[in-house]
Amino acid sequence: MSNTTFPIPLLHSAVRIMAPILLAATGGLFTELAGMLNIALEGLMLIGAFFSVVFAAATGSLFLGIVLGIGASILAAYVFSFISLNLRANIFITGLATNLFAEGLTMVLAFEIFNNKGTIYFENLAKLPVLSIAWLQRIPVLGDVLVGHNVLVYVSWVMIVLAAIVIYKTPFGLRIRGTGSNPGAVEAMGLSPRRYQTYAILISGFTCGLAGSILSLQLGAYVPGVTAGRGWVALVAIYLGNKNPLGIVLACLVFGFADSLSNWAQGAINIPADFVRAFPYLITVVAMIGYSIARHYRTRGSER
Amino acid sequence: MDKRRLANLLSSTTGLALTIAIAFAIVVLLILILSDEPGRAIYYFFIGPFTKAFYFGNMLNQAIPLIFTGLGIAVAFRSSTFNLGGEGQAYAGALVATVILLAMPTAPGIIGIVAAVVGATLIGAFLAGLSGFFNMRWGTQTLISSWLLSAAVILIADYFVTGPLDDPASSMMTTAKIAEQFRFLRIYLPSKLDVSIVFAAALAIGTYFFMQRTHWGYEMRMCGINREFSRYAGIHVGKYLVIPMAISGGFHGLAGSVTLMGTHYRCLKGITMGIGWNGIAVALIAKNNPIAVIPAALFFAYLNEGARAAMLHSDVTVELAKIGQAVIFFLVTAQALYGLYNSRKKKVAA
Repeated sequence: MSNTTFPIPLLHSAVRIMAPILLAATGGLFTELAGMLNIALEGLMLIGAFFSVVFAAATGSLFLGIVLGIGASILAAYVFSFISLNLRANIFITGLATNLFAEGLTMVLAFEIFNNKGTIYFENLAKLPVLSIAWLQRIPVLGDVLVGHNVLVYVSWVMIVLAAIVIYKTPFGLRIRGTGSNPGAVEAMGLSPRRYQTYAILISGFTCGLAGSILSLQLGAYVPGVTAGRGWVALVAIYLGNKNPLGIVLACLVFGFADSLSNWAQGAINIPADFVRAFPYLITVVAMIGYSIARHYRTRGSER
Repeated sequence: MDKRRLANLLSSTTGLALTIAIAFAIVVLLILILSDEPGRAIYYFFIGPFTKAFYFGNMLNQAIPLIFTGLGIAVAFRSSTFNLGGEGQAYAGALVATVILLAMPTAPGIIGIVAAVVGATLIGAFLAGLSGFFNMRWGTQTLISSWLLSAAVILIADYFVTGPLDDPASSMMTTAKIAEQFRFLRIYLPSKLDVSIVFAAALAIGTYFFMQRTHWGYEMRMCGINREFSRYAGIHVGKYLVIPMAISGGFHGLAGSVTLMGTHYRCLKGITMGIGWNGIAVALIAKNNPIAVIPAALFFAYLNEGARAAMLHSDVTVELAKIGQAVIFFLVTAQALYGLYNSRKKKVAA
C-alpha cells in the first residue's frame, strides 16, 4: 500500500460498510418523518439477515433468498406496527420487544434447523455479484472508491434516491411527513394518520430486510448478532443527517469511514479487537452529543 | 374515587392476565411445532421449576438481579427518564467489583463486600448519570445515548475479562475467582439461592418509601408526570434528569456485583446475561411500582428456569424463554388489552 493511494482502500471499504446502515436509515427516515421513534430497525435487520441466507441456501437462488428475507422482515414489521398502532402499545417498548423477539426467534430456529447456535456456514452459496460500471470507473480517484462493490451496495444508493423522490415529490410522501408534523391536518383531509404510520413501518421492514440480507449474504454465513448495533447507528444517522436524505448519506459515510478506519487500525497498530469494535459506538455517541450541542446553541441563538 | 380505582385495577389485572396468557399460548404453539416430544417439553416448561428444590432455588436466585434492575428501571421510568443502558451498567458493576475483590484477597469479608458494592454502584451511577447529564446540559436523548454508551462498555468489559484479567488456569473466558470470604452465604442448598434475596426485598420496600414518602421521591414523580408543570411549580427539573438516571444506573451496577458475589464468584464474559433488558420488562409488568417489582421479577425468573428445565429434560432450546419474554414485552403496554377504563378516560378527554 503506497502512501498516495492510502485513503482509497479505506474509503472503498467505507462505502461497502455503510450500505446496510444507509438502507436501514432510509426506512427509518420514513418512520421518523411519520412521527415515530423506530428502535426496531436492529431486530428487523437481524430477521432479514437470518431468513435471506437460510432461504438462499434452501432455494439455491440468491434472488429468492433476498426476496423471502425481505418478506420475513416485512412480516415482523407488520406485527410490530399492529401491536404499536392498532393495540396502542408504547412504540418504544414494542421496538425493544421486536429486537428481543428477533434474537430469540433466530436462535430457536437456528438450533431447530441446524442444531447450532453459533455461526452457520453455507459452503455452496453463490457470492453476491460484483457490479463494475464502466462510466463510473472513468472518474479519477472517486471511480476507484465507487466501483467494484456488490450489487446490493448500488441498490442502497438507488433506494435513498427513490426515498428522497417519494418523500418530497409525491402526495404519499407529503402525507407521511404530514402524519409526523401535523396529524390533525392529515385527518382533516379524510385520511388516517395511523394508516400512513403503518406504511412507514412496513417500508422500514422492507429496507431493513434488504440491509440484513447484505450482512449475511456477503459473508455467505449466518453469524448470531451479525447486525452488531447497526440499527442503532442508523437511527443516530437519521438525527445527525437532520432527517434529510443527503445528510443521512453523509452521516452513514462518516460511520462507514470510522468503521473501516478502526478495521485498518486493528491491522496496522496493535489495538485489542474489542476496543476496535467499541469504537463505532463511541464515535456515534460523541457525534450525537456534538449534534445536540450544536442544536442547543443554534436554538438559543434564534430565541434572542 | 374508590370505584374508579377499583375499575382501573381490574382492567389492568385482566390486561396483564391476557398478556401472560398470550405469551404462554405462543410458547406452547412453538413447542408443538418444534419439539418431537411436545408433551414432555411443555410439562417441564411449566412445572419444571417446581419439581426439584434445585430448580426452585435457582429460580428464586435468578429473580435477585432482576429485582435490582427492575427497581432501577422503575425509578427512571417513574421520573420519565429512559435508561436503556442497563446491560452495560450491570456488566461494569460486576467487573469493578471483581477488580476490587481480586485486589484485596486477604481483606476481611465485610470490608471487601462493602467496597465492591460501593464501587459497583458508583460505576453504574456514573455511566447512567453521564447520559442524564448530557440530556440536562444539551438535550441529548437519554435513551439512545445510554444504549450506545452501554454497547461500548460491554465490549470494553469483554476486553478486560478475556484480556488482562483472564484466568489462565480456566478454559472458560473468565477472570479468576474471588476469595471465599467475599461469597454470599447460600441458604437453600443444593441450589444457588443466596442471602442477598433478603437485601433485594428490603431494597424494593426502601425504594417504595423513597419514591412515595420523601421530598426527592415526590419531586421525581412530579417531573415524571409533567416536567413543564414541575418547572413552573419551582422544581429544579434539570436536576431530575440526572438523579433518577444515576439511581437507576447505581441499581444496575449493584445487580452486577450481587450476581458476582452471590452466584458466579468470578466475572465471566457476558456475566449479566440479559438482566438489563429483562429489568425493563419487569418494571413494566410492575407498572413501575417498586413493591410489584418483586413478583414481576419472580415471574420472569420462572420463565427462564422453565425454559432451562425444558431444555434439560427434552429437545427444545433455552432461548424459548426469550420469545415468551418478547411477547410479554410486546403486549404489556398495549392499551387495547388494558381495556375499559382507559378507553372511557380517552372518550372524556376527546
